[in-house]
Amino acid sequence: MGKSCKDYVSELNDFIDGELDPELCREIEKHIGKCENCRIMVDTMRQTVELCREGARESLPPALEARLSGLLKAHWDRKFGSKKD
Amino acid sequence: MSEKELVRQAQAGDFAAFSQLVDTYKSRVYGLALRMTGNEQDAQDIVQETLIKAIDNIESFRGESLFGTWLYAIALNQSRAFVSKQKQASLKSIEEYLPAKSAEHMHDAEAPVTLFDWKDPHQLLEQRELRQIIDEAIASLPEKYRVAFLLRYHEELSIKEVAKVIGETVASAKSRVLRARLALRDRLSRIFEDRYGKELQGLR
Repeated sequence: MGKSCKDYVSELNDFIDGELDPELCREIEKHIGKCENCRIMVDTMRQTVELCREGARESLPPALEARLSGLLKAHWDRKFGSKKD
Repeated sequence: MSEKELVRQAQAGDFAAFSQLVDTYKSRVYGLALRMTGNEQDAQDIVQETLIKAIDNIESFRGESLFGTWLYAIALNQSRAFVSKQKQASLKSIEEYLPAKSAEHMHDAEAPVTLFDWKDPHQLLEQRELRQIIDEAIASLPEKYRVAFLLRYHEELSIKEVAKVIGETVASAKSRVLRARLALRDRLSRIFEDRYGKELQGLR
């Protein structure tokens, strides 16, 4: 009786993210070839992160960008004085 | 110019160096704050307060982590005030996210519970609806798990950097990221299964 799915679950993040040591990686790949549940688990965990990454890049709202540039410079000058400019 | 050099110049009072340092990170801090609070105005306030605090404390940054890591830690402190306390609950243990009641018996004939296979959810749902489902699922995570997950997969920090930002050990950061991912997967799985089921009924 080999290892069960339970023994692999804590390694799945490192496995999917390509950060697991090669030997354990091969072991899990072999297991996935035989175990439909773990194959689905790995595939859907991978997709979970991919879906979260899609369209996830926001840019700063222009109004905030405009407000910040003046505000931060003023705050900086209060602290350091404007000697360095 | 290297980040270290920019930090040194900023600490000596050079605003241009400071601006260049935060330019790399401010939209990312905004994205993180937006997902933490789910509110654009709050996220804007957090970005502003974070950068003000960064100016106030720039001398105390010792360069032991990336500048971004330091900035994220400030941003998270700021965002705590905006995040409701009711989301502090814990998640299930890692093993409980496996199918069937006892994971050891997954291969037994008596416990033939198979995970639901999503295939590709883009086939079923429009991009906008999918985005909404994902955002709601992330928002439903208890705060400490949501933070760890977002830092790792939205801000793309290493586990070590995540641990530094949240002030936990690497092992604890790892466990939070994994549980968050499992919980999200679980939640999405339920939603997709429900949707696929309806789709199939409609075909009859």
